[in-house]
Amino acid sequence: MKLHELEKNARKEIEETATSEELEKVRIRYLGRKGKLTEILHSIGNLSKEEKPVVGRVANRIKVELDQLILIRKKNLEESRTLGLEDLSLPGRKPTIGNLHPLTILSEEIINMFISMGFSVVEGPEIETDYYNFTALNTPPEHPARDLHDTFYLKDGRLLRTHTSPVQIRIMEKHSPPLRIISPGRCYRVDTFDPSHSPTFTQIEGLWVDKDVSMADLFGTLKIFARKTFGEDTKVEFLPGYFPFTEPSAELWIQCPFCTGKGCSVCHQGNIEILGCGMVHPNVLKNMGYSEFLGFAFGMGVERIAMIKYNINDIRLFYQNDLQFLKQFNESKL
Amino acid sequence: MKVNYNWLSLWVDINLSPDDLANLLNHLGIEVENIELTSNDAIFSLDITPNRPDLLSIQGISREIAAKTDKNLKKVINYQIPEGVRQDKGIELSVTIESVGDCARYVASLIDGIEIGPSPTLISERLEKCGIRSINNVIDITNYVLLEIGQPLHAFDYDRIGNKIIVRRAKNGETIVTLEEEEKVLSNLDLVIADNRKPIAIAGVIGGESSGIIEKTKTIVLESAFFKPELIRKTSRRLKLSTESSYRFERKADIGILRTASLYALHLLLKYAKGKSVCSIIDTNTNPELMREVPFSFEKTNRLLGKRVEKEEVNAIFNKLGFRSNGDDTNPKIEIPSYRRDIELEEDLTEEIGRFIGYDNIPSRFGYSNEHPIIKEERDILPIKRIMTSLGSSEAMNIPFIEPSWVKREGENPIELKNPMWSDKNILRVTLLPGLISNVKRNLNRGEESVALFEVGKVFTREREEEEMVSGILAGNMPINWYEAQRPADFYDIKGTIEVLLKELNIGGYQFSECKDPFYIKERALSLNLDKSTIGCFGLLCQDICKADIFGFEFNLHKLLSSPKEKIQYLRTYRFPPIKRDLSIVVDEKTPYDRVKNIINSIITHDVKIELIDVYKDLKIGSNKKSLTIRLELYHPAKTITEEEIKKDMENVIKGLSKLGADLRK
Repeated sequence: MKLHELEKNARKEIEETATSEELEKVRIRYLGRKGKLTEILHSIGNLSKEEKPVVGRVANRIKVELDQLILIRKKNLEESRTLGLEDLSLPGRKPTIGNLHPLTILSEEIINMFISMGFSVVEGPEIETDYYNFTALNTPPEHPARDLHDTFYLKDGRLLRTHTSPVQIRIMEKHSPPLRIISPGRCYRVDTFDPSHSPTFTQIEGLWVDKDVSMADLFGTLKIFARKTFGEDTKVEFLPGYFPFTEPSAELWIQCPFCTGKGCSVCHQGNIEILGCGMVHPNVLKNMGYSEFLGFAFGMGVERIAMIKYNINDIRLFYQNDLQFLKQFNESKL
Repeated sequence: MKVNYNWLSLWVDINLSPDDLANLLNHLGIEVENIELTSNDAIFSLDITPNRPDLLSIQGISREIAAKTDKNLKKVINYQIPEGVRQDKGIELSVTIESVGDCARYVASLIDGIEIGPSPTLISERLEKCGIRSINNVIDITNYVLLEIGQPLHAFDYDRIGNKIIVRRAKNGETIVTLEEEEKVLSNLDLVIADNRKPIAIAGVIGGESSGIIEKTKTIVLESAFFKPELIRKTSRRLKLSTESSYRFERKADIGILRTASLYALHLLLKYAKGKSVCSIIDTNTNPELMREVPFSFEKTNRLLGKRVEKEEVNAIFNKLGFRSNGDDTNPKIEIPSYRRDIELEEDLTEEIGRFIGYDNIPSRFGYSNEHPIIKEERDILPIKRIMTSLGSSEAMNIPFIEPSWVKREGENPIELKNPMWSDKNILRVTLLPGLISNVKRNLNRGEESVALFEVGKVFTREREEEEMVSGILAGNMPINWYEAQRPADFYDIKGTIEVLLKELNIGGYQFSECKDPFYIKERALSLNLDKSTIGCFGLLCQDICKADIFGFEFNLHKLLSSPKEKIQYLRTYRFPPIKRDLSIVVDEKTPYDRVKNIINSIITHDVKIELIDVYKDLKIGSNKKSLTIRLELYHPAKTITEEEIKKDMENVIKGLSKLGADLRK
């Protein structure tokens, strides 16, 4: 009969739809205001007494069933667009997350280590005077040690600090010992921009001034730092060094992690220098006004430590900001 | 500096492999940078610290090895002129030191009968192993003495200079052509060696071309002197001339060794340069201060090292170093030889004790502490950085040198570098944007499709010195994925970033207003204001700065973080679910959404949350018009809001909005 044929065709067409739009067209064709089934339902009134209830019942059943079918088909179509395959290996929906700079991550790690040892974090200006950067630190004009710090000078006679040690002097002018501070920050030295040099770098310096702080305390403190940073089994060694603002002076060396002490292009006969340190020079204590105290100081380049720790072979990577580079660092990975 | 194993072995019995010797030197603070092994020798490259000029010679290194390994030096340089060759032929020479403070001692020797020729292999080989080119016997001998015992010597051709040697300051504008055939203009800050007429050498730095050794040279004047270190350093730096001599003089050479060095050189000249007679030796200071007393304190040393040192141990170390103690038990005075001018204070002696005991033998300690204050600085930039990364931006760090063309803001003057790294980037950055923009370009060029970066760092102006800023940048497409269509980043992305940043920093009561910053396109940027003060701007960057569409922002960190925080106060939660109504209106496209929202807010009598859920332009709704669909969520703390109550609110809203020219969309 005509109604059965219509039902058969409608069912077939609904099944064959591939998109919601197609489905909507089919729905309109049969169930829309001028749809085929709608027209039949509207024309029931014109039928004979005998036909009316039969056709009416069948047509209404078909309408309810087609409505149902369209609803199910619609749901299936919508699902199939995204999850038709039930492929649980599809990546999840997620916001894009950026990464902290490796120097930030490592600096924070180091800073927190020293905070847990009772140090306070202090900062100072990047533009400094000759007095704070050199003279107060026992490096008067024409001192040969100035060669170790090739300096960027400003036209107004000031300079870009070559280390964060001036912060120590500034803090000691404001606070009296005993005190323990670390001063992280940007420093500048005239240097070519090549795989192992950069005109700017990040330094973290520490200072501990007290009545009877000694080299033993210096070594103890820095050994904790070195083991926490490079691993519990790291072989740590202190060698004599020279800095105009410390006396005695020392350098902290660790066994080269690249060749494990056999000797390679990165290290000096199996060892790598990590930082410089020493007992604060009596002239510096005098300049700070605390001759009756003793103190130790240390300073490290964060880039250098990051390069050793994360196997980075070119210091320029820190300042070129390639996303390919930056995206390789996050806090839990390190 | 380079030294070779075999030469050191002539001075001290080593009995160590080259590697072990390097290890020993490292533990003395003499850093071995490299060991080069040859068939029968090892050459060490040493990094000598500036406080130890005494180590700039074979003798100096040998002294340290001997002291550390408990041996005596095998060699002592102590020559006299052999009786037979001493004769006075009546050749005259005089030395006058006009500038007394600049030259504490000058030893001049006159020797004749010289025949210039090649050096014996013994000398030339050793020089070349230590990195010095062999030139001729006379020059080589001066360099040989320099390398072996550390004293720089200079040889003049007696026949090319007068018989007077004058040590004086240069006259302003006086010139000299150096041995490297370069003309240098001098000033009265420079010390020169002069004859009657003109400078014949820049003292301690380099000789003059007109007075130097040539093939025909027969008679030479040999200079062995002590110059004021600061002066030599200044001249060397100003003339950009660093030589083996200036390097040692500026670090303070050994005033006690001048005569010894001269006699050693004369001995070699007689032997290897056919020198016949030594005509005269002039010494302007026959009695220089050789030993000097420095106090030593056992108590201070124990405190500094954190270790108790024994008297015998200390005396033994001093002995090995050639220091002499006067025997006082608690605070002895120690006599220091002239070659160790780095030892000035008791702490310097403490370092020598530490060095020779070995830092390995100083215990490690952690725990000593007097109560000390925690200094609190109200500044924490990490939260801001974390918010930025959570918004998809990665942290950049740039070198803060920029081109002056970036100075565009009125009343802003840059701080200039005197010695810039790159001549075009000769000012300190006044904004973080240039660095970030170059990062965007670099990343886009490398195929990144989506670049979001931020930086926290300082900017510098003459007006405001140093200010810390936070700046961010967004360019390219938004990151691609499988569930959304990809689209380019736009203004609302950067605005959203800023709105979240402000919310997360708990900063309320801010306003956006017109952006007057020249870095941004005015129509597509806004400024952020807090307490009537501008914190910074954000939006589309000017196209003359960057061709691609780059959205950026830059805020003053201090102003941002020191702004008054919203006080956190719990208000209420609603037990009854809200009634939701969507309102679609058509307004003039110039009507800001903010005004629509404010009107709704002021009219609705219930607690309401307003969310814009659709906005579009279409010719069907009329040109110069836009359609806004706004979802209202109405809450009541104590009951479900009735249909009646909502109706009244909605009617009032529509009435209110119609004053804006808004039509309800059909």
